[in-house]
Amino acid sequence: MASADKVGRARPLPALATTYEGDDPVLLERIIPLIDTIEISPDAIARSAGKQACLRLEILKEYASVLPHVNFVAHGVGLSIGSFDHWNEGYLRLLDELFESLKLEWHSEHLACTQVADENVGTMLPLPRTEEALDLICTRVEALQKRYAVPFLLEHVICLLPDMPGVYTPAGFINAITSRTGCGLILDAYNLECDVFNQGLDISAFLDELDLAPVRELHLAGGVQHRGFYLDIHSNPTSDTTLALGLDIIRRAPNLRVATYEFLKEAVVLLGHDGICNELARIRQAINNDTT
Amino acid sequence: MTQLERQQRALLDLIKKRGAPPEDVYLRQVANSRQLTMVREIAVWWRAFQIEDQCRFTSRLLKRLECFEDVVINYFNNHRTSPFIEELSQDFLDSLRDHPDWLIRAVSQFELALLKVRADSAVCFEVLWDRNPDNLILALQEHNPLPPPEIGCLYRMQIARNLPRIVSCTREYTTHDR
Repeated sequence: MASADKVGRARPLPALATTYEGDDPVLLERIIPLIDTIEISPDAIARSAGKQACLRLEILKEYASVLPHVNFVAHGVGLSIGSFDHWNEGYLRLLDELFESLKLEWHSEHLACTQVADENVGTMLPLPRTEEALDLICTRVEALQKRYAVPFLLEHVICLLPDMPGVYTPAGFINAITSRTGCGLILDAYNLECDVFNQGLDISAFLDELDLAPVRELHLAGGVQHRGFYLDIHSNPTSDTTLALGLDIIRRAPNLRVATYEFLKEAVVLLGHDGICNELARIRQAINNDTT
Repeated sequence: MTQLERQQRALLDLIKKRGAPPEDVYLRQVANSRQLTMVREIAVWWRAFQIEDQCRFTSRLLKRLECFEDVVINYFNNHRTSPFIEELSQDFLDSLRDHPDWLIRAVSQFELALLKVRADSAVCFEVLWDRNPDNLILALQEHNPLPPPEIGCLYRMQIARNLPRIVSCTREYTTHDR
Protein backbone atom coordinates (compact mmCIF):
# COMPACT_ATOMS: atom_id res chain seq x y z
CA MET A 1 0.00 0.00 0.00
CA ALA A 2 1.36 3.38 -0.94
CA SER A 3 2.06 5.55 2.03
CA ALA A 4 0.82 9.09 1.88
CA ASP A 5 2.27 12.38 2.81
CA LYS A 6 0.76 14.00 5.84
CA VAL A 7 -1.53 15.95 3.57
CA GLY A 8 -4.65 17.63 4.75
CA ARG A 9 -3.59 17.95 8.36
CA ALA A 10 -5.37 21.30 8.54
CA ARG A 11 -8.65 19.95 7.22
CA PRO A 12 -11.31 18.74 9.64
CA LEU A 13 -11.44 15.11 10.68
CA PRO A 14 -13.95 13.08 8.73
CA ALA A 15 -17.32 12.76 10.38
CA LEU A 16 -18.19 9.28 11.61
CA ALA A 17 -21.30 7.63 10.21
CA THR A 18 -23.00 4.30 10.50
CA THR A 19 -25.88 2.38 9.08
CA TYR A 20 -29.22 2.47 10.85
CA GLU A 21 -32.27 0.89 9.25
CA GLY A 22 -34.82 1.28 12.01
CA ASP A 23 -36.80 -0.94 14.38
CA ASP A 24 -34.13 -0.92 17.08
CA PRO A 25 -34.58 2.26 19.17
CA VAL A 26 -32.24 0.99 21.87
CA LEU A 27 -29.45 0.69 19.34
CA LEU A 28 -30.28 4.12 17.93
CA GLU A 29 -30.09 5.68 21.36
CA ARG A 30 -26.73 4.06 22.00
CA ILE A 31 -25.09 4.99 18.70
CA ILE A 32 -26.23 8.61 18.54
CA PRO A 33 -23.60 9.92 21.00
CA LEU A 34 -20.91 8.08 19.03
CA ILE A 35 -21.63 9.28 15.49
CA ASP A 36 -22.13 12.43 13.45
CA THR A 37 -24.08 11.05 10.52
CA ILE A 38 -26.55 8.26 9.78
CA GLU A 39 -26.45 6.43 6.48
CA ILE A 40 -29.95 5.58 5.28
CA SER A 41 -30.68 3.03 2.60
CA PRO A 42 -34.11 3.99 1.22
CA ASP A 43 -34.67 0.46 -0.08
CA ALA A 44 -34.07 -1.00 3.36
CA ILE A 45 -36.67 1.15 5.09
CA ALA A 46 -39.36 0.68 2.46
CA ARG A 47 -42.34 -1.58 2.35
CA SER A 48 -44.33 -2.72 -0.60
CA ALA A 49 -47.68 -0.95 -0.79
CA GLY A 50 -49.59 -2.49 -3.64
CA LYS A 51 -47.77 -1.86 -6.86
CA GLN A 52 -45.62 0.89 -5.40
CA ALA A 53 -43.19 0.85 -2.51
CA CYS A 54 -43.13 3.57 0.12
CA LEU A 55 -40.96 4.45 3.08
CA ARG A 56 -42.06 3.18 6.48
CA LEU A 57 -43.35 6.13 8.45
CA GLU A 58 -42.40 4.68 11.80
CA ILE A 59 -38.74 4.57 10.75
CA LEU A 60 -38.85 8.12 9.39
CA LYS A 61 -40.14 9.15 12.81
CA GLU A 62 -37.15 7.45 14.42
CA TYR A 63 -34.82 9.52 12.24
CA ALA A 64 -36.78 12.67 12.98
CA SER A 65 -36.38 12.02 16.69
CA VAL A 66 -32.59 12.32 16.45
CA LEU A 67 -32.56 15.19 13.96
CA PRO A 68 -30.79 17.76 16.09
CA HIS A 69 -27.91 15.41 16.83
CA VAL A 70 -26.89 13.98 13.46
CA ASN A 71 -26.73 14.56 9.72
CA PHE A 72 -28.08 12.12 7.16
CA VAL A 73 -26.85 10.69 3.89
CA ALA A 74 -28.76 8.33 1.60
CA HIS A 75 -27.09 5.26 0.17
CA GLY A 76 -29.14 3.29 -2.32
CA VAL A 77 -29.02 -0.33 -3.31
CA GLY A 78 -31.76 -0.69 -5.87
CA LEU A 79 -31.41 2.13 -8.41
CA SER A 80 -29.64 -0.19 -10.81
CA ILE A 81 -27.94 2.70 -12.52
CA GLY A 82 -26.15 0.35 -14.90
CA SER A 83 -29.08 -1.58 -16.36
CA PHE A 84 -28.98 -1.52 -20.13
CA ASP A 85 -32.64 -0.52 -20.48
CA HIS A 86 -33.58 1.76 -17.63
CA TRP A 87 -32.92 2.39 -14.00
CA ASN A 88 -35.40 1.53 -11.27
CA GLU A 89 -37.82 4.44 -11.14
CA GLY A 90 -39.37 2.97 -7.97
CA TYR A 91 -36.12 3.62 -6.12
CA LEU A 92 -36.21 7.28 -7.11
CA ARG A 93 -39.73 7.60 -5.73
CA LEU A 94 -38.39 6.33 -2.40
CA LEU A 95 -35.54 8.80 -2.60
CA ASP A 96 -37.97 11.63 -3.36
CA GLU A 97 -39.91 10.68 -0.25
CA LEU A 98 -36.74 10.66 1.82
CA PHE A 99 -35.73 14.08 0.52
CA GLU A 100 -39.17 15.38 1.50
CA SER A 101 -38.72 14.05 5.04
CA LEU A 102 -35.08 14.78 5.85
CA LYS A 103 -32.28 17.07 4.87
CA LEU A 104 -29.68 14.88 3.18
CA GLU A 105 -26.06 15.92 2.78
CA TRP A 106 -25.75 13.81 -0.36
CA HIS A 107 -27.04 10.60 -1.89
CA SER A 108 -25.18 7.74 -3.43
CA GLU A 109 -25.61 4.49 -5.29
CA HIS A 110 -23.56 1.49 -6.35
CA LEU A 111 -21.93 1.45 -9.75
CA ALA A 112 -23.78 -1.68 -10.71
CA CYS A 113 -26.77 -3.36 -12.23
CA THR A 114 -29.28 -5.12 -9.96
CA GLN A 115 -32.05 -5.70 -12.47
CA VAL A 116 -32.07 -6.74 -16.09
CA ALA A 117 -35.17 -6.16 -18.21
CA ASP A 118 -37.11 -5.52 -14.98
CA GLU A 119 -35.96 -8.80 -13.47
CA ASN A 120 -34.10 -8.77 -10.17
CA VAL A 121 -30.63 -10.27 -10.66
CA GLY A 122 -30.31 -11.25 -7.00
CA THR A 123 -26.87 -9.68 -6.73
CA MET A 124 -24.98 -6.59 -7.89
CA LEU A 125 -23.37 -7.01 -11.26
CA PRO A 126 -20.44 -4.70 -11.97
CA LEU A 127 -20.39 -3.00 -15.36
CA PRO A 128 -18.07 -3.70 -18.24
CA ARG A 129 -15.52 -0.90 -18.52
CA THR A 130 -16.53 0.06 -22.04
CA GLU A 131 -17.43 3.30 -23.81
CA GLU A 132 -21.02 2.12 -24.06
CA ALA A 133 -21.33 1.61 -20.31
CA LEU A 134 -19.51 4.87 -19.65
CA ASP A 135 -21.92 6.85 -21.82
CA LEU A 136 -24.92 5.24 -20.16
CA ILE A 137 -23.66 5.88 -16.63
CA CYS A 138 -22.65 9.47 -17.32
CA THR A 139 -26.02 10.31 -18.87
CA ARG A 140 -27.81 8.92 -15.84
CA VAL A 141 -25.49 10.58 -13.32
CA GLU A 142 -26.14 13.91 -15.02
CA ALA A 143 -29.89 13.30 -14.84
CA LEU A 144 -29.59 12.60 -11.10
CA GLN A 145 -27.54 15.74 -10.61
CA LYS A 146 -30.27 17.78 -12.28
CA ARG A 147 -33.02 16.10 -10.28
CA TYR A 148 -31.56 16.58 -6.80
CA ALA A 149 -29.86 19.65 -5.39
CA VAL A 150 -27.25 17.75 -3.37
CA PRO A 151 -24.12 15.92 -4.59
CA PHE A 152 -24.39 12.42 -5.99
CA LEU A 153 -21.73 9.82 -5.20
CA LEU A 154 -20.98 6.48 -6.82
CA GLU A 155 -19.51 3.46 -5.05
CA HIS A 156 -17.56 0.69 -6.78
CA VAL A 157 -18.83 -2.83 -6.02
CA ILE A 158 -16.90 -6.04 -5.55
CA CYS A 159 -16.39 -8.12 -8.62
CA LEU A 160 -16.98 -11.81 -8.06
CA LEU A 161 -17.43 -13.00 -11.63
CA PRO A 162 -14.40 -13.13 -13.92
CA ASP A 163 -13.39 -9.63 -14.96
CA MET A 164 -15.30 -8.41 -18.01
CA PRO A 165 -13.49 -7.37 -21.15
CA GLY A 166 -13.22 -3.59 -21.37
CA VAL A 167 -11.11 -0.72 -22.56
CA TYR A 168 -10.52 1.00 -19.22
CA THR A 169 -8.64 -0.01 -16.12
CA PRO A 170 -10.80 -0.17 -12.95
CA ALA A 171 -9.52 3.23 -11.79
CA GLY A 172 -9.53 4.65 -15.32
CA PHE A 173 -13.22 3.86 -15.74
CA ILE A 174 -14.11 5.62 -12.48
CA ASN A 175 -11.89 8.58 -13.40
CA ALA A 176 -13.70 8.90 -16.72
CA ILE A 177 -17.06 9.05 -14.93
CA THR A 178 -16.00 11.59 -12.32
CA SER A 179 -14.17 13.83 -14.79
CA ARG A 180 -17.07 13.84 -17.22
CA THR A 181 -19.88 14.35 -14.70
CA GLY A 182 -18.25 15.91 -11.65
CA CYS A 183 -19.94 13.36 -9.40
CA GLY A 184 -18.42 12.26 -6.11
CA LEU A 185 -17.13 8.88 -5.01
CA ILE A 186 -17.38 6.49 -2.11
CA LEU A 187 -14.37 4.27 -1.64
CA ASP A 188 -15.10 1.07 0.24
CA ALA A 189 -11.93 -0.23 1.85
CA TYR A 190 -13.38 -3.70 2.41
CA ASN A 191 -14.65 -3.96 -1.18
CA LEU A 192 -11.15 -3.14 -2.39
CA GLU A 193 -9.73 -5.87 -0.20
CA CYS A 194 -12.26 -8.29 -1.63
CA ASP A 195 -11.11 -7.41 -5.14
CA VAL A 196 -7.48 -7.84 -4.10
CA PHE A 197 -8.22 -11.32 -2.79
CA ASN A 198 -10.78 -12.47 -5.36
CA GLN A 199 -9.49 -10.74 -8.49
CA GLY A 200 -5.87 -9.93 -7.79
CA LEU A 201 -6.48 -6.17 -7.90
CA ASP A 202 -3.24 -4.22 -7.48
CA ILE A 203 -4.46 -1.83 -4.84
CA SER A 204 -1.42 0.43 -4.89
CA ALA A 205 -1.68 0.88 -8.62
CA PHE A 206 -5.44 1.39 -8.31
CA LEU A 207 -5.12 4.12 -5.69
CA ASP A 208 -2.21 5.74 -7.51
CA GLU A 209 -4.22 5.93 -10.73
CA LEU A 210 -7.55 6.93 -9.16
CA ASP A 211 -8.32 10.63 -8.94
CA LEU A 212 -9.00 10.85 -5.20
CA ALA A 213 -10.30 14.43 -5.22
CA PRO A 214 -13.93 13.35 -5.83
CA VAL A 215 -13.87 10.92 -2.87
CA ARG A 216 -16.26 12.27 -0.24
CA GLU A 217 -16.97 9.17 1.77
CA LEU A 218 -15.11 6.10 2.99
CA HIS A 219 -16.86 2.83 3.77
CA LEU A 220 -15.51 0.47 6.38
CA ALA A 221 -16.95 -2.96 7.08
CA GLY A 222 -16.08 -6.52 7.93
CA GLY A 223 -17.27 -9.32 5.70
CA VAL A 224 -16.94 -13.07 5.56
CA GLN A 225 -14.73 -15.61 3.85
CA HIS A 226 -16.56 -18.50 2.24
CA ARG A 227 -15.26 -21.25 -0.06
CA GLY A 228 -12.15 -19.32 -0.90
CA PHE A 229 -13.85 -15.97 -1.55
CA TYR A 230 -14.01 -12.72 0.34
CA LEU A 231 -17.69 -11.70 0.36
CA ASP A 232 -19.20 -8.30 1.05
CA ILE A 233 -21.69 -9.59 3.58
CA HIS A 234 -21.16 -6.86 6.15
CA SER A 235 -21.54 -8.74 9.37
CA ASN A 236 -18.29 -8.34 11.28
CA PRO A 237 -16.10 -5.71 12.87
CA THR A 238 -13.60 -4.06 10.55
CA SER A 239 -10.37 -6.01 10.34
CA ASP A 240 -7.08 -4.29 11.13
CA THR A 241 -6.03 -4.44 7.49
CA THR A 242 -9.28 -2.85 6.30
CA LEU A 243 -8.96 -0.12 8.88
CA ALA A 244 -5.35 0.52 7.87
CA LEU A 245 -6.38 0.80 4.24
CA GLY A 246 -9.21 3.13 5.24
CA LEU A 247 -6.80 5.38 7.12
CA ASP A 248 -4.53 5.47 4.10
CA ILE A 249 -7.48 6.57 1.96
CA ILE A 250 -8.38 9.26 4.49
CA ARG A 251 -4.84 10.61 4.32
CA ARG A 252 -4.81 10.65 0.54
CA ALA A 253 -8.32 11.84 -0.33
CA PRO A 254 -8.31 15.61 0.24
CA ASN A 255 -12.09 16.08 0.17
CA LEU A 256 -13.15 13.05 2.18
CA ARG A 257 -15.78 14.18 4.69
CA VAL A 258 -17.37 11.05 6.14
CA ALA A 259 -16.16 7.60 7.21
CA THR A 260 -19.01 5.12 7.52
CA TYR A 261 -19.00 1.83 9.39
CA GLU A 262 -21.51 -0.34 7.55
CA PHE A 263 -23.26 -3.43 8.83
CA LEU A 264 -26.33 -5.32 7.78
CA LYS A 265 -29.43 -5.03 9.90
CA GLU A 266 -29.50 -8.83 9.95
CA ALA A 267 -26.03 -8.80 11.53
CA VAL A 268 -27.01 -6.76 14.59
CA VAL A 269 -27.79 -9.94 16.46
CA LEU A 270 -24.29 -11.25 15.71
CA LEU A 271 -22.44 -8.02 16.41
CA GLY A 272 -24.52 -7.02 19.41
CA HIS A 273 -25.16 -3.45 20.48
CA ASP A 274 -21.96 -3.45 22.53
CA GLY A 275 -20.01 -4.75 19.57
CA ILE A 276 -21.34 -2.04 17.26
CA CYS A 277 -20.65 0.71 19.79
CA ASN A 278 -17.16 -0.62 20.47
CA GLU A 279 -16.48 -0.70 16.75
CA LEU A 280 -17.60 2.90 16.29
CA ALA A 281 -15.42 4.01 19.17
CA ARG A 282 -12.49 2.04 17.79
CA ILE A 283 -12.81 3.59 14.33
CA ARG A 284 -13.15 7.09 15.78
CA GLN A 285 -10.07 6.53 17.91
CA ALA A 286 -8.08 5.19 14.98
CA ILE A 287 -8.99 8.20 12.82
CA ASN A 288 -8.19 10.64 15.61
CA ASN A 289 -4.86 9.00 16.36
CA ASP A 290 -3.89 8.87 12.73
CA THR A 291 -4.75 12.41 11.79
CA THR A 292 -3.75 14.43 14.84
CA MET B 1 -29.39 -5.38 -29.26
CA THR B 2 -26.38 -3.58 -27.79
CA GLN B 3 -23.35 -5.36 -26.41
CA LEU B 4 -24.34 -4.27 -22.88
CA GLU B 5 -27.84 -5.68 -23.25
CA ARG B 6 -26.51 -8.94 -24.66
CA GLN B 7 -24.08 -9.27 -21.80
CA GLN B 8 -26.52 -8.39 -19.00
CA ARG B 9 -29.24 -10.66 -20.34
CA ALA B 10 -26.75 -13.50 -20.73
CA LEU B 11 -25.36 -13.05 -17.20
CA LEU B 12 -28.87 -13.08 -15.77
CA ASP B 13 -29.59 -16.31 -17.66
CA LEU B 14 -26.39 -17.86 -16.32
CA ILE B 15 -27.20 -16.85 -12.75
CA LYS B 16 -30.72 -18.24 -13.13
CA LYS B 17 -29.46 -21.41 -14.82
CA ARG B 18 -31.50 -21.03 -17.99
CA GLY B 19 -31.04 -20.52 -21.69
CA ALA B 20 -28.67 -22.12 -24.16
CA PRO B 21 -24.96 -22.42 -23.38
CA PRO B 22 -23.31 -19.14 -24.38
CA GLU B 23 -21.09 -18.85 -27.47
CA ASP B 24 -19.33 -15.66 -26.41
CA VAL B 25 -15.82 -16.32 -25.10
CA TYR B 26 -16.24 -14.27 -21.92
CA LEU B 27 -19.65 -15.71 -21.12
CA ARG B 28 -18.31 -19.23 -21.65
CA GLN B 29 -15.58 -18.43 -19.16
CA VAL B 30 -18.23 -17.24 -16.68
CA ALA B 31 -20.41 -20.29 -17.29
CA ASN B 32 -17.55 -22.61 -16.38
CA SER B 33 -16.29 -20.61 -13.42
CA ARG B 34 -16.49 -21.37 -9.73
CA GLN B 35 -17.24 -17.67 -9.29
CA LEU B 36 -20.61 -18.15 -10.97
CA THR B 37 -21.41 -20.95 -8.55
CA MET B 38 -20.62 -18.57 -5.69
CA VAL B 39 -22.75 -15.76 -7.14
CA ARG B 40 -25.69 -18.18 -7.47
CA GLU B 41 -25.14 -19.42 -3.95
CA ILE B 42 -25.17 -15.89 -2.53
CA ALA B 43 -28.29 -14.91 -4.49
CA VAL B 44 -30.14 -17.98 -3.24
CA TRP B 45 -28.79 -17.56 0.29
CA TRP B 46 -30.29 -14.08 0.54
CA ARG B 47 -33.65 -15.29 -0.70
CA ALA B 48 -33.56 -18.24 1.71
CA PHE B 49 -32.65 -15.95 4.58
CA GLN B 50 -35.57 -13.64 3.87
CA ILE B 51 -38.03 -16.47 3.30
CA GLU B 52 -36.98 -18.17 6.51
CA ASP B 53 -37.59 -14.96 8.41
CA GLN B 54 -40.98 -14.16 6.86
CA CYS B 55 -42.46 -17.60 6.15
CA ARG B 56 -41.60 -19.42 9.33
CA PHE B 57 -44.09 -22.28 9.27
CA THR B 58 -43.52 -23.13 5.63
CA SER B 59 -39.76 -22.88 6.00
CA ARG B 60 -39.79 -25.15 9.02
CA LEU B 61 -41.97 -27.68 7.23
CA LEU B 62 -39.76 -27.65 4.14
CA LYS B 63 -36.70 -28.10 6.31
CA ARG B 64 -38.40 -30.94 8.17
CA LEU B 65 -39.09 -32.54 4.80
CA GLU B 66 -35.45 -31.86 3.79
CA CYS B 67 -36.38 -29.91 0.68
CA PHE B 68 -36.08 -26.25 1.77
CA GLU B 69 -32.95 -25.47 -0.22
CA ASP B 70 -34.18 -27.20 -3.38
CA VAL B 71 -37.52 -25.41 -3.21
CA VAL B 72 -35.86 -22.01 -2.77
CA ILE B 73 -33.39 -22.66 -5.60
CA ASN B 74 -36.25 -23.72 -7.86
CA TYR B 75 -38.19 -20.62 -6.87
CA PHE B 76 -35.22 -18.29 -7.49
CA ASN B 77 -34.40 -19.81 -10.87
CA ASN B 78 -37.95 -19.75 -12.17
CA HIS B 79 -39.50 -16.58 -10.78
CA ARG B 80 -38.92 -12.86 -10.97
CA THR B 81 -37.99 -12.35 -7.34
CA SER B 82 -38.97 -9.06 -5.79
CA PRO B 83 -36.41 -6.98 -3.87
CA PHE B 84 -39.19 -6.20 -1.37
CA ILE B 85 -39.48 -8.72 1.39
CA GLU B 86 -43.28 -8.59 1.63
CA GLU B 87 -43.66 -9.27 -2.07
CA LEU B 88 -40.95 -11.92 -2.05
CA SER B 89 -42.52 -13.86 0.81
CA GLN B 90 -46.04 -13.69 -0.58
CA ASP B 91 -44.90 -14.62 -4.07
CA PHE B 92 -42.84 -17.52 -2.70
CA LEU B 93 -45.80 -18.87 -0.75
CA ASP B 94 -48.06 -18.39 -3.75
CA SER B 95 -45.61 -20.38 -5.87
CA LEU B 96 -46.35 -23.39 -3.63
CA ARG B 97 -50.08 -23.20 -4.34
CA ASP B 98 -49.93 -26.21 -6.67
CA HIS B 99 -47.16 -28.13 -4.95
CA PRO B 100 -47.72 -31.88 -5.26
CA ASP B 101 -47.30 -32.39 -1.51
CA TRP B 102 -50.67 -31.82 0.17
CA LEU B 103 -49.14 -30.69 3.45
CA ILE B 104 -46.77 -28.16 1.86
CA ARG B 105 -49.72 -26.78 -0.06
CA ALA B 106 -51.84 -26.38 3.07
CA VAL B 107 -49.16 -24.82 5.29
CA SER B 108 -47.95 -22.40 2.61
CA GLN B 109 -51.49 -21.27 1.72
CA PHE B 110 -52.35 -20.89 5.40
CA GLU B 111 -49.28 -18.72 5.94
CA LEU B 112 -49.98 -16.73 2.77
CA ALA B 113 -53.55 -16.08 3.94
CA LEU B 114 -52.26 -14.91 7.32
CA LEU B 115 -49.82 -12.48 5.67
CA LYS B 116 -52.54 -11.10 3.42
CA VAL B 117 -55.11 -10.71 6.20
CA ARG B 118 -52.54 -8.99 8.41
CA ALA B 119 -51.87 -6.66 5.48
CA ASP B 120 -55.58 -5.82 5.66
CA SER B 121 -56.94 -7.96 2.83
CA ALA B 122 -60.74 -8.13 2.94
CA VAL B 123 -60.78 -11.58 1.34
CA CYS B 124 -61.88 -14.64 3.31
CA PHE B 125 -59.37 -17.40 2.58
CA GLU B 126 -60.09 -21.12 2.93
CA VAL B 127 -57.52 -23.86 3.47
CA LEU B 128 -58.27 -27.58 3.77
CA TRP B 129 -56.18 -29.80 6.02
CA ASP B 130 -55.86 -33.57 6.25
CA ARG B 131 -54.94 -33.37 9.95
CA ASN B 132 -55.61 -31.08 12.88
CA PRO B 133 -53.89 -27.80 11.94
CA ASP B 134 -53.45 -26.75 15.58
CA ASN B 135 -51.43 -29.85 16.31
CA LEU B 136 -49.43 -29.45 13.14
CA ILE B 137 -48.52 -25.78 13.73
CA LEU B 138 -47.64 -26.56 17.34
CA ALA B 139 -45.37 -29.39 16.18
CA LEU B 140 -43.65 -27.03 13.74
CA GLN B 141 -43.26 -24.36 16.39
CA GLU B 142 -41.85 -26.73 18.98
CA HIS B 143 -39.88 -28.95 16.62
CA ASN B 144 -41.92 -32.00 17.60
CA PRO B 145 -42.81 -34.92 15.28
CA LEU B 146 -45.53 -33.99 12.81
CA PRO B 147 -48.97 -35.49 13.49
CA PRO B 148 -50.10 -38.06 10.89
CA PRO B 149 -53.03 -37.46 8.49
CA GLU B 150 -56.45 -38.32 9.98
CA ILE B 151 -58.22 -40.80 7.76
CA GLY B 152 -61.88 -40.08 7.15
CA CYS B 153 -61.98 -36.42 8.03
CA LEU B 154 -60.77 -33.05 6.88
CA TYR B 155 -60.43 -29.69 8.53
CA ARG B 156 -61.89 -26.67 6.78
CA MET B 157 -60.12 -23.51 7.92
CA GLN B 158 -61.14 -19.95 7.19
CA ILE B 159 -58.83 -16.97 7.56
CA ALA B 160 -60.38 -13.51 7.43
CA ARG B 161 -59.86 -10.21 9.15
CA ASN B 162 -63.47 -10.03 10.38
CA LEU B 163 -63.31 -13.34 12.27
CA PRO B 164 -62.96 -12.88 16.03
CA ARG B 165 -59.51 -14.49 16.12
CA ILE B 166 -58.75 -14.17 12.40
CA VAL B 167 -58.85 -17.97 12.03
CA SER B 168 -61.70 -20.44 12.44
CA CYS B 169 -61.71 -24.14 11.72
CA THR B 170 -64.27 -26.95 11.58
CA ARG B 171 -63.78 -30.69 11.29
CA GLU B 172 -65.80 -32.54 8.66
CA TYR B 173 -66.19 -36.30 8.31
CA THR B 174 -65.64 -37.64 4.85
CA THR B 175 -66.64 -41.32 5.42
CA HIS B 176 -69.90 -42.83 6.66
CA ASP B 177 -68.37 -44.86 9.50
CA ARG B 178 -67.43 -41.67 11.37
